[in-house]
Amino acid sequence: MKLELINKLFECVEFGKININSPYPPQMKGLPGADEITQEALVAGVNPDEILNRALIAAMNKVGEKFTEKKIFVPQMLLSAKAMNASMNHLKPYFADGSVKRKGVFIVGTVFGDLHDIGKNLLSMMVEGAGWEVIDLGIDVNTEAFVEKVKEYPDAVVGISALLTTTMVNIEPVIKAIKQASPATKVIVGGAPLTAAFAASIGADAYGKNPREGIIWLDLQSQKMNN
Amino acid sequence: MKEWIDSVLNHKRRQAFPLITHPGIELMGATVKSAVSDGRVQYEAIRAASETFHLSTCSSMMDLTVEAEAFGAKVNMPEDETPRVVGRLLKEMSDVEQLQVPALDQGRLPAYLLANQLCVSNIKERTLFSGCIGPFSLAGRLYDMSEIMVSIYTEPETILLLLSKCSAFLVDYCKAMKSTGTAGVIMAEPAAGLLSDEDCRLYSSDFVKQIVQEVQDDNFTVILHNCGNSGQCTQAMIESGANALHFGNAIDITEALSECPPHLIVMGNLDPVSLFKQSNPDQVKQSTLELLNRTKNYPNFVISSGCDLPPQTPLENIRAFLEAVEEFNRSI
Repeated sequence: MKLELINKLFECVEFGKININSPYPPQMKGLPGADEITQEALVAGVNPDEILNRALIAAMNKVGEKFTEKKIFVPQMLLSAKAMNASMNHLKPYFADGSVKRKGVFIVGTVFGDLHDIGKNLLSMMVEGAGWEVIDLGIDVNTEAFVEKVKEYPDAVVGISALLTTTMVNIEPVIKAIKQASPATKVIVGGAPLTAAFAASIGADAYGKNPREGIIWLDLQSQKMNN
Repeated sequence: MKEWIDSVLNHKRRQAFPLITHPGIELMGATVKSAVSDGRVQYEAIRAASETFHLSTCSSMMDLTVEAEAFGAKVNMPEDETPRVVGRLLKEMSDVEQLQVPALDQGRLPAYLLANQLCVSNIKERTLFSGCIGPFSLAGRLYDMSEIMVSIYTEPETILLLLSKCSAFLVDYCKAMKSTGTAGVIMAEPAAGLLSDEDCRLYSSDFVKQIVQEVQDDNFTVILHNCGNSGQCTQAMIESGANALHFGNAIDITEALSECPPHLIVMGNLDPVSLFKQSNPDQVKQSTLELLNRTKNYPNFVISSGCDLPPQTPLENIRAFLEAVEEFNRSI
């Protein structure tokens, strides 16, 4: 029974079935979604940690693989992330009381001057689905907002995104300010016009070409922090 | 424009068609804001670029906000950056139902039409293309890009209605640009590059096709630009019926060329950022020659930047690109 619920939840997240009213995917129309199955699983006594690790993280990992292999595209990935979020909402009390541990805190935002959010949204949803607590500062985020949040969460990793050549240069002063306030804080950057060479030149610790690359690097940081 | 297409297909010389309105703006010391707001400034910028670089083909600005603004979207216009749509104009079906297809006197549309008119009247012996956004990219700017990506599955009727209004507007706008006497229009549809081939066909190409059927003829060519396509939706782009397809650097251009029928003009796809803006002239020249050699067996290829060159692109890199094309043409 418990395994069946975990498998069902995995399937809902993999295929983007948010709740019973969601018409997508067509083959699951009218069936319970991630929202209802998570509630059912918790009532049935499934360990929230198992829900997170064996259903949500595992499914989002598969979604990331399918995206990298061009088997699915941005819309399907966003729907999977929404299904994952619907489930995650029911796990929040367990995160709050410490009975379910996440891998770390990821502070993310689009750099000041830049109003684009689709890449940043995709990344933050995938990172959350990979087991991190995500603090999304939104778009057009100024240096002070990043620094303030880093002071609040000194163990967090920071992600900064830019989609314009005119705004990617704004990332450098943000990194400098973050490192000044908290030298040990790691920063990963990404966005369409960025390259690994540019990321290195502005003092970033890593460059994420796509969400999957970013998550692999983040998970390495988590392992280092927990060792 | 049949004459232009024939000149590409029937000559061994490669045509160069970099998208260089920003360098034009900088050449005349204007701001991006003034060029996207004032048709006369935009025309002067296009003229400056075409004369400075002796281009045989040029285009008006790739501003992906002017159409959304005409529909009522708020636009942020910094002095020296491309404008951006702010916020979300439409949230649900009732908003889309009430949305009016704007007349051509709204927002900055008259400035763009004036720029086209002035270019045709004053820039002689050059092939001039207008510019506009594609229907799906326009709809995404009105509905929010992340939301439209999900809503094509959760609320397809809403999005299809919105797309029908966007394409109705774009038919009117393209007809107005055509009446200025330009050779065609570059229709920028980058957001459709985030979709699968099937979704690109359903939510972009079917609507692009409606516009193509209304405006494309021997005197007016639609160039469908999709710099988001990484190879998955080329077939859908072909099915739009546009006479020319313009690709970004996310795609392997030889794969695109092998997928496209030989009568279709294929344009692209040197990286506008990491090559044109961030590299040096030697690297630009080397990459340009490499691309020309890799595509030399395709008469339907026109070499171009994969997208509009960004502000502050070094002029010597554009010269290096054009020199490489000339060097290649001398060698054939």
